[in-house]
Amino acid sequence: MSDATLNASAMRRGSFASVLPKLAATLLMLVLAAVWLGPLLLIVMTSIKSNAEFLAGPFALPRSPTIQPYIDVWFGLGFGTLLRNSLIYATAGSALAVTLALVPAFALSRMNVPGRKWIFGLLLTGLMLPQQTVLIPLYDTLRTFHLLDTKIGLIIVHGVYGMPLQVLILRGFMTTIPPEIEKAAYVEGATDFQVFWKVILPLSVPGILVGYTLNFIAIWKEFVFGLVFLNSEENFPVTVGMLKLNSDRYLAVFNLPAAGLVISQLPIVILFILTYRQISGGNLSGAVKG
Amino acid sequence: MASSASRFDDGTFVGFARRHVFVTVFGVAVPLLVFACFIGYPIVYTIYLSFFEWNGMAPQKKFVGFANYAYLLHDKYFYIALVNNAKWLVVSLVFPVSLGFLIAYVMKARLVFAPSLLRTIVFFPVTMSLIAVGLMFLLILNPVFGAFDTLLRSVGLGFLVHEWFGDYRIALYTLAVISGWAFTGMPMIFYFAGLGDVPKETFDAARIEGAGHWRMIRSVALPQLRPVTAIIVMLTLFESLRAFDLIAVLTKGAPFGMTNVLGYLVYMESFWNSRFGYGAALSVVILVIAGSLAALLLGKVLKGAFDV
Repeated sequence: MSDATLNASAMRRGSFASVLPKLAATLLMLVLAAVWLGPLLLIVMTSIKSNAEFLAGPFALPRSPTIQPYIDVWFGLGFGTLLRNSLIYATAGSALAVTLALVPAFALSRMNVPGRKWIFGLLLTGLMLPQQTVLIPLYDTLRTFHLLDTKIGLIIVHGVYGMPLQVLILRGFMTTIPPEIEKAAYVEGATDFQVFWKVILPLSVPGILVGYTLNFIAIWKEFVFGLVFLNSEENFPVTVGMLKLNSDRYLAVFNLPAAGLVISQLPIVILFILTYRQISGGNLSGAVKG
Repeated sequence: MASSASRFDDGTFVGFARRHVFVTVFGVAVPLLVFACFIGYPIVYTIYLSFFEWNGMAPQKKFVGFANYAYLLHDKYFYIALVNNAKWLVVSLVFPVSLGFLIAYVMKARLVFAPSLLRTIVFFPVTMSLIAVGLMFLLILNPVFGAFDTLLRSVGLGFLVHEWFGDYRIALYTLAVISGWAFTGMPMIFYFAGLGDVPKETFDAARIEGAGHWRMIRSVALPQLRPVTAIIVMLTLFESLRAFDLIAVLTKGAPFGMTNVLGYLVYMESFWNSRFGYGAALSVVILVIAGSLAALLLGKVLKGAFDV
């Protein structure tokens, strides 16, 4: 049977009919690579052109690259502050989300919690909820606690709305820890807390890092909450602050907005390079599939 | 787990709570409380508010019964937004989802060189904020200085040059396609992981039978990937119901509300027109749509996805 397979594939490999799909696929992939990489490269290129070079057209290579647009957006348009704010929101918000999610994930992965169907239902509700539908009451709640237009208020909201996905991701990870490990601890007379703190938590560090990174990126991308719950520019995350780039004043020459949007994604690019394997390795689908 | 079974574990919540105090408090009670305050209560309050007229400032809200819903039924902009959501969804299902599948398949079938590089390139925009993506395409699609129209003109397709965001007939599709560009990496990695789970023998058997790639996709890959497809369709549904960022940065619903979607209409009615009651009624409509879609899909699809 294996001979037949080999023969068949050898014959197919040589024939034109088997080269054709490969050729078509490769061509298609080249086009796709251009479509996905092209815009990014063009924008980076635009961002290092001087005003005069910009007029030479979008495809002209920058002859004398300049970082002036970056200096202008960093100091002139306050991108330093915006990036710092986004960093605060993403760091603290993700920490809160993961912290809230740890024990629930532990319970749902290791124990037979009664009513877990309902808990999963709630988690999915939190996950799927279109945020626009709860803006008004959240706005009201934050106003009641004097948390409108404060960093703390937005961090809390980010933390709570990040929690459901974190529970699923961490639970998915904790399920892979073999039960024998904690069985031994229970036999020794350990309490739930000790098992959680001394056994499961240290073993879950890789999962926590993945969850934290995904949440960090999610908060960095987030826009609606920041737009509605904040008023003063000194609190804006970069997604809200960079809206001003879309105005005729800055769109006369494209290098300034281009530099602004490149800067706004730079921390994520770095994080992406560092963690690409972890965050794209099907961890998300793993969380859903359990 | 069985390891923690004891005489208290009689399957009731009280029994569990007595046996596992730490887990009950920090694993169930605290998260539930937080959930109730910031997710549960807002949903209930939105429903409540939809029966009132309120400008967001006045101390008294005026009860108006179903007036907001009656208004909604005759609101032209509501229907435009609703139809736009449907269009957005169709574009999202056709473009990023099927393309994501195709890329994943072609990479898994080793039909291309450097598959991991391609995967990285297509996945990267998933991590970008849609505000940055929107601004990027605002520059690229500018009719005068933009790269896209310059390219079209230089290859003799100048007649295709458009006001991509200003022409009311195409603006919505421009936005949906941009959103698809940023989203394609998501279905791609889901399908890529899914294809990895299909037993190799299944594909081998089909190959021995002489199945070409077209047949392989239709008769082997897609049926095997049905659960993955279901999850992706659900993700896409909710992504399109959430559509907001691109509209906020690029068109704000203009021209003439033709690019408005429900998610942005809620925001405009509430926070720009100060009609919080009506905004809440629109929110309830979104919630009903999302809820029924979720119930429909969850019942069918995710049954058994969680081992509960």
